[in-house]
Amino acid sequence: MRTSQNRPQHYELIRRIIYVGIALAVILSYFIDYRQKFTPSPESKKVFDKVESLSPGDHLLISIDYDPSSEAELYPMCLSLLRHCFKKGVIPVVMTPWPGSVGIAKKGCDEAAEDANSMFGKKVVSGKDYAFLGFRPGATNLILKMVDNLKGAFDKDYYGQPTQGMEALAGVNSLKDIKLLVDLAAMGTVEWWIAYGADRADIPMATGTTAVMTPDLYPFYQSNQLIGFLGGLRGAADYEKLLEIPGRGERGMLAQSATHVLIILLILGANIHMFAGRFGRKNEGLS
Amino acid sequence: MSDHTQADEIQAGAARRRQAIEIGVLALLVVAFFIVSLLRQNPFDKDADPTKAIGLIVAAGLTFIMFSFLYRDNPLFKAAEHLYVGVSLGYAAVISWREFLRPLVYQPLFEAPTAAAFKSSLLHLAVPVALGFLLMGRISRKHGWVSRYAYAILIGWGAGVAIPLITNSFILQQLTAAIKPLQDVVNEQALGAPWFSRAWLVGVAGPVFGALVAMIGTVAVLFYFFFSVEHKKVGSAVSKLGIWFLMVSFGASFGFTVMGRLSLLIGRVNFLLGEWLNIQNK
Repeated sequence: MRTSQNRPQHYELIRRIIYVGIALAVILSYFIDYRQKFTPSPESKKVFDKVESLSPGDHLLISIDYDPSSEAELYPMCLSLLRHCFKKGVIPVVMTPWPGSVGIAKKGCDEAAEDANSMFGKKVVSGKDYAFLGFRPGATNLILKMVDNLKGAFDKDYYGQPTQGMEALAGVNSLKDIKLLVDLAAMGTVEWWIAYGADRADIPMATGTTAVMTPDLYPFYQSNQLIGFLGGLRGAADYEKLLEIPGRGERGMLAQSATHVLIILLILGANIHMFAGRFGRKNEGLS
Repeated sequence: MSDHTQADEIQAGAARRRQAIEIGVLALLVVAFFIVSLLRQNPFDKDADPTKAIGLIVAAGLTFIMFSFLYRDNPLFKAAEHLYVGVSLGYAAVISWREFLRPLVYQPLFEAPTAAAFKSSLLHLAVPVALGFLLMGRISRKHGWVSRYAYAILIGWGAGVAIPLITNSFILQQLTAAIKPLQDVVNEQALGAPWFSRAWLVGVAGPVFGALVAMIGTVAVLFYFFFSVEHKKVGSAVSKLGIWFLMVSFGASFGFTVMGRLSLLIGRVNFLLGEWLNIQNK
């Protein structure tokens, strides 16, 4: 019997069994006390090494180009980057060109600032140790403006403090004064930042993106327009491992591997089933 | 009564029974959800933060509603979907007003401290604000044409700025990287290492092999999209090689997409177990 979509009815059942299998693999992985061993990728290591090479007082700009729907992959990266900055005394300048990203950007800054206190014994203050500039519209126009005059693009920070004279932005007049630009993106903003920001200001750039976007970054990595990148949850896990502060990324690796193994087994099983069926039909035809 | 009518009635009866069972199961699940929520995130508990607890319960409930689509499309899923769009737009509107429109447009024009400040603001803001209002002309069918002036400026200015920057970043720099001499990709320190040693393999053989594969792939894929000559004999082989490179690229993209979607699932499951049910993993 076939359904209205011309599929055998048992396909619906198989589909639901697959969902349950994937869900079980993820849920059970949560309860297993095992940290999966993995080696950070060279692309992730280059981002870490670049941040590690910055001196205290240097500025690193983080553009939050994702909203809560991509939190699972990108928030752990944001947290690790900010923790790394606070650990080293590098000053992160956080901003977003998307109104929907303000809340999640602020959450990252607040959580990392609290962590700096509990993990490194540093009291981190907005406007002094980091700057949270909030949101400004304009997308590519905003980036162009930042290359010429960063404080003109953001005359006040998120909390309403004037950026002119702000201790955290001392010595920063334009994007050219930023030592590393990091775009954490779930949207097509990486290209904007490369063309309108990093290439024009001639500053190094790295990205952290969702896994879906990661394959598109390799051409820019090969041409050195990106010094490195963090790809998906795996990229976040890489950075956490390099920073030696475990977080959601590393915790998710076991679930990620378990589901990948399950998917591979399902693909193999489905292919065996298909070829066995074909072989059986062929034999029936011969007899 | 005809056989057709009888069969229709049997089918309708089965559908009604199925619907009743589904509603019953849904009701049980809703009750179970609220019981579990109250046990793990009780907003009435004297030590609890009610705002946080209610937020977690709502988020968990909406997560389950979104997952219900895996069973079948349903009204609850539709409602949650519309809620998501509405909340996103509402949030963006409030943030736009608070972060940008109020301090940069409204206050300088309507709350200017002096007449001179007002004049200065008017001088700077009149043209952009007028163009912004012209864009809103799209709302009206009759007066939609006025938005074309704003779009003309947007497109003209945008293209003028974009063309040189995009050409430099996405064509010239990519071309430069694609035709890099082989000596630029090898690690010079590894050149003196014995053949087939680890240093030689990593510093010389690997990068050279990678560069050659990239070169062959670029040529083959470009040739696949070159339709001015018929793909015969050698041309056909190169074109097929191009297809293989494209297939590998699509496979990698698909693999990353699966990984990305699973990461989102892992994020939600971690939220449900770790935050909503408050079960801490080790």
